[in-house]
Amino acid sequence: MERVRNLTQAYSQAPWRKQMMFIGLFLLVVTFVALVAGIYLDVTARTATTGREIQVMEEDIEALKLSNSDLESKLASINSMEEMEKRARSLGFERIQMNEAQYIVVPGYLSREHVRLAPPPGPVKAVAAALPTTFTESLFDWFERSVLPLRSHVLEVRK
Amino acid sequence: MMTEHVWRYTLLGTIFTLLALAIVGQMVRIQLNPEQVAYFKERRTLNEGGYHTIYPARGLIYDRYGNVLAGNTKVYEVGVELAWVENPHTISLALNVVLGLDYKQVLQAVSQEPSANAVYVVLSNFVPQDKIDKLESYRKEIEQTYQRSRDKDRPSLEGLVYVPHLMRSYPEKDRASNVLGFVTMEGKGNFGVEAKLDRELAGSPMNVWIPRDPNLVGQIQDIPEGASLILTIDRNIQKAMEDLIDNAVDSNGADSGTIVVIDPKTGEILAMATTPRLNLNEYWRYSDVFKGNTPFNRAVSGTYEPGSVYKILTMASALDKGVVKPETEFIDTGQFEIGGTFIYNWNRGAWGPQNMTGCLQHSLNVCLAWVASQLGAKDFYEYMRAFGIGHLTGVDMEGEMPGRLKSPGDADWYDADLGTNAFGQGVAATPLQMAVASAAIANEGKLMAPHIIRSIVTKGQQFDNQPRVVGLPISAKTAKTLTDMLAISLEEEASDALVEGYRVAGKTGTAEIPTPFGYSSNVTNASFVGWGPVDDPRFLVYIWLEKPTSSPWGSVVASPVFRQAVEQLVVLLQIPPDDVRMKLTQH
Repeated sequence: MERVRNLTQAYSQAPWRKQMMFIGLFLLVVTFVALVAGIYLDVTARTATTGREIQVMEEDIEALKLSNSDLESKLASINSMEEMEKRARSLGFERIQMNEAQYIVVPGYLSREHVRLAPPPGPVKAVAAALPTTFTESLFDWFERSVLPLRSHVLEVRK
Repeated sequence: MMTEHVWRYTLLGTIFTLLALAIVGQMVRIQLNPEQVAYFKERRTLNEGGYHTIYPARGLIYDRYGNVLAGNTKVYEVGVELAWVENPHTISLALNVVLGLDYKQVLQAVSQEPSANAVYVVLSNFVPQDKIDKLESYRKEIEQTYQRSRDKDRPSLEGLVYVPHLMRSYPEKDRASNVLGFVTMEGKGNFGVEAKLDRELAGSPMNVWIPRDPNLVGQIQDIPEGASLILTIDRNIQKAMEDLIDNAVDSNGADSGTIVVIDPKTGEILAMATTPRLNLNEYWRYSDVFKGNTPFNRAVSGTYEPGSVYKILTMASALDKGVVKPETEFIDTGQFEIGGTFIYNWNRGAWGPQNMTGCLQHSLNVCLAWVASQLGAKDFYEYMRAFGIGHLTGVDMEGEMPGRLKSPGDADWYDADLGTNAFGQGVAATPLQMAVASAAIANEGKLMAPHIIRSIVTKGQQFDNQPRVVGLPISAKTAKTLTDMLAISLEEEASDALVEGYRVAGKTGTAEIPTPFGYSSNVTNASFVGWGPVDDPRFLVYIWLEKPTSSPWGSVVASPVFRQAVEQLVVLLQIPPDDVRMKLTQH
């Protein structure tokens, strides 16, 4: 009791102490808000930068797809029957005649099979989301998702 | 001093408070006004991104071993961003020189004042890479030469832009063009599999929301590409058959030629060669190549009276019904009366006593008309329908024609038609229909669904087209009996169709061509159908030469083509001669 009285007297005799306390508290709040805002800005900026990078990559993918298609067609032209026959003839090859073929038994030989460009249909697998929510939600979304359910959980425990 | 400043602080505080209240008031006013809310929502949506229609890349078409028959090549749309244009004259001149565009028209388009309605102008489309490279080299040259110039009218290609996109291309040019069809610049498939599976190949264009917000980049939908097709066609066999039919048409002075090669056990079409053919990369020359009503693919769209090759279907039906046996004797007097009409042989002669093999060997119309009369109209037409005559085969190509099979009950059917239909006159069929029906005889009586699409590749999976039996017109025993009869008839006739080392079965056909004034006697359709090896058929070949001038007879013009086709097929399909095959099988 005596101690409280001494403190009250001290603040009454030096009111700047009270002001300093309020200023200190105010600065503490400001610092906290600035810290949160800073973190928020940093996360948002990084997300935006990554998003922009993804956009650029998507454009690159599209350009590469076009180039791949083009190259595939060019390769097909180079490997076309007409071109292959020209090259074969220039290398001294001739088309085989029926009576020139010799047939022998080769153990394990498998005749030419038709092409398989993709696996046959199988069970459908669910595709996981590309980005976890951690990378897409805002601070408020996170607060709503993580902290609010805790509050209701605590209330239930109290009951 | 304190009081002196109080009113200033109060005034400043009041102003700030009023400003804050005004902002809050404005916010409340906007929120409470539905029109304003809608307006600002729309503005927000516009700034968030936009809807764009995305056209997926068209699927590729491969032959059965993965060789590309139809691909996509990169071309460019050339346009100008009006706001960036510095010198319209330079752009007009460059496009005139490189792309051959009209200078004045380009100048007029490029000189427009940019506005909300005029932002971008397309000047040319489907420009190949080499032209773009040329324009780019001009641009660099101009930039290097005039980079220090401050002249307002200095030459510049600023504003000229190139937007890349894909265009259909066919690396094999006219190879298998009758099967593939083509895609126009508008992206629409025409003829062949390009038209039949246009939707699957093209994929589904989607109107997609593209957000500007980088945070929403994950929301952009993936557009699946069009499905790719793997055909049953073997590129090597296709080329061999095309070369062969081109030579046959030239050497016999025929109007056109068609060869269909089928695997009789599966119904897979290994080759389908017809004339004329079109370089698909220059599809705009279509009307130069296909004059008048010329079908794009005679094998599926060209109906004709097949003539004597049809006799194998008549004989198959009679044998299966038990009306005749191979040894059944028929005395050919040179004419047979049916429905008040007399039927004569191809040489108007009488061939005397013949068994059924002899009737096929000498291709006797009189004998086959008699066989059909023994079978009766009801059974004859039921068998013909079971063989698929007069119906679409359902092959996966655009433009298939059903042909025509008149039958009792039709207004234009007469009793005499049974006699003429028996040897392939008065009935219209496509080469594919005839090949499929004949393949049933080669395949133990099982009629297979003909198909040219081996697999469809979509969404990372390959869906195979399994062989399907669509009918059993005759029994396996009948099929074997008839195959033997046809093999013997070729051997005894010492036909030009015989292939050394391989036993084959087959039948020639010579058909007069119907005209408004009756059948022509000097122009014919020459055909041949054959398959082999007889004990284990791996191929069936159907040949049609239209109006050959070297000789009207199928046995003279079509039989050698069959032999040449088989000589190439046995090499390409790796089929050893019969004796070697027997020895190898015993190992």
